[in-house]
Amino acid sequence: MADQKLVDDILDALYFPGTSRARRPVHTVGIGVTGWFEPSPVARNYCEAEHFTSKEPVKVTMRFSNGLGYPETHDGWSDVRGMAVRFHPEHGKATDLISMTLPVFFSPDAETFLAFAKAARPVPCKRESAWQKLKDYLALRLPMPDPHPGQSERPDEPATAFADAHGWAQPAVLDTSQIGAPVSYVRAAYHAVHAFIVHGDDKVERWVRFSWQPVAGVMNTNMLNTDPPLAPARLEYLQDDMRRRLKDGTERFTLVMAIGEVGDDFDDPTRQWPLHRRRIIMGELTLTSVPEDQQTFGERLSFNPWLLPEKGMRASADKVLAIRRQAYETSSKGRGAIPCPFSGAASETGARP
Amino acid sequence: MSGDGGWLNDYMNALPEKGWFKFLSRTLVVPYWIWREGKAPLPGGPRPSPNPSDNAQRMMNLLMPLKDGSPVGRAEAVMALAQNVDEIFAGLDNVGTVHSARFLLIEDYICMLSVYDGDFNNYIRDFISTIGTVFDDLMLLVEGGDELRPCEKNIEKFIDWVAAHDLFQAPDYPIDLFGLQNEANGQPPGTLHEVRSLPRALILQLHANRNISLGGGYRGYPGHTAAQIRSKLGEGW
Repeated sequence: MADQKLVDDILDALYFPGTSRARRPVHTVGIGVTGWFEPSPVARNYCEAEHFTSKEPVKVTMRFSNGLGYPETHDGWSDVRGMAVRFHPEHGKATDLISMTLPVFFSPDAETFLAFAKAARPVPCKRESAWQKLKDYLALRLPMPDPHPGQSERPDEPATAFADAHGWAQPAVLDTSQIGAPVSYVRAAYHAVHAFIVHGDDKVERWVRFSWQPVAGVMNTNMLNTDPPLAPARLEYLQDDMRRRLKDGTERFTLVMAIGEVGDDFDDPTRQWPLHRRRIIMGELTLTSVPEDQQTFGERLSFNPWLLPEKGMRASADKVLAIRRQAYETSSKGRGAIPCPFSGAASETGARP
Repeated sequence: MSGDGGWLNDYMNALPEKGWFKFLSRTLVVPYWIWREGKAPLPGGPRPSPNPSDNAQRMMNLLMPLKDGSPVGRAEAVMALAQNVDEIFAGLDNVGTVHSARFLLIEDYICMLSVYDGDFNNYIRDFISTIGTVFDDLMLLVEGGDELRPCEKNIEKFIDWVAAHDLFQAPDYPIDLFGLQNEANGQPPGTLHEVRSLPRALILQLHANRNISLGGGYRGYPGHTAAQIRSKLGEGW
């Protein structure tokens, strides 16, 4: 069990000033979606969890989200997006896979994450002066981007300053600064940045990381490069896009599993593995509908990366992954969500489609 | 375009695209930074790694500068290869660890791009011992090639020459460039650099390494050797 004070401090640092504790501290705005997952024929060779061995499609509940902790929707802003998937196998217990468009995390453990979260709280936005931009160009350095229309504060400046002094934060901060906005939640790749340990029938344990690859392909938009700028109404387009896409059709993602090798950072989510690790196609996810009841199928759901299968998969020793169990549980209690699976208050693991 | 920052802000955002500023950058700004913080060239080829999948499907991007860049000189290079196709294919088959190889003529360079498994030195050694005579013809046409002939008799020297002409492979994750530069420029590991200075680091590196490979490339079946694939295909390899 993690230090509860540390968990509370992290949540305090994540909630933006003036935001409600009845909402999620990050990934606050999102949309619940339902569908099903079909494991690939080879998935069972690597993981004996039921959702990878099922002969029938497995029902899933998902939530797509914007990363920042604002209660208002700012779809066009450059931001990390989230994709939380809950598998509901027919016989076993439900299991979650939580991922985001960022392929690395900001810190290697809970204490450093608290330091980062405290340092990278949003500050009032300040457009760089023309003189400062010129100085940046002459120094062959990236100027800070202009604030988005309507943006009055952001974490960019303090996060960048923090990364300049802490090398482990640099990959995530650099990637975040360039991440942009997807044209659709289904036109982005999502990465579960932590390693998990899986085994199939052969009982050989493998350290793996999962990614969702969109079958429709990755495509970003960038409001600041649009001439004329996108209308403010475009600040809300991702949820409408999802509803429109699923009204008459389906969308798909492929679940890819990279297998780590000795020498890779199994327990450090700030370090990406080389791109050339063996990749296994574990299955295909099909998105079918956006439920009317978004409270039950999205906002009140409590996902947790520790909601693991009964067999075939366990958590690595990643210290950020370790703290997330209690952080998610505490956050869930605080906002009165459907009880977290670890709270003991409910045996069910969330809404079923 | 920000839309609400005024004309000066819009002008500054577009400044890197202005002709006069590009000229200023090329003639003054970049040379100043090269003088102040120039980078050492980074070595070519894949970097050493103990990981199995890093040692499968490695890439060689060999750029050989032609002595004569005229159409006649370039045609001679084409002929040197075209007249030895059987020898090249048989040689690559015999090496056994090659996934693919091809030759390109780009500007004044004859280029060999190949994907191989295992150690670089062993690859070149096996390769040159089986198709050395082809390279003897080619080396006649390449700058610095005379002293490598006959290649079969100068294998170690030939390996060093190929390594020196194999392109630097930029890291797959841009931020890792800082670490490679630290190492090459004698700075302690972990020396920190401003995140926003990455463009400068890249520009200065591209001055030191004029041609580079952009990352390690995509692989459709990463981590598998040519031998493993041939074995699965059941085609008698």
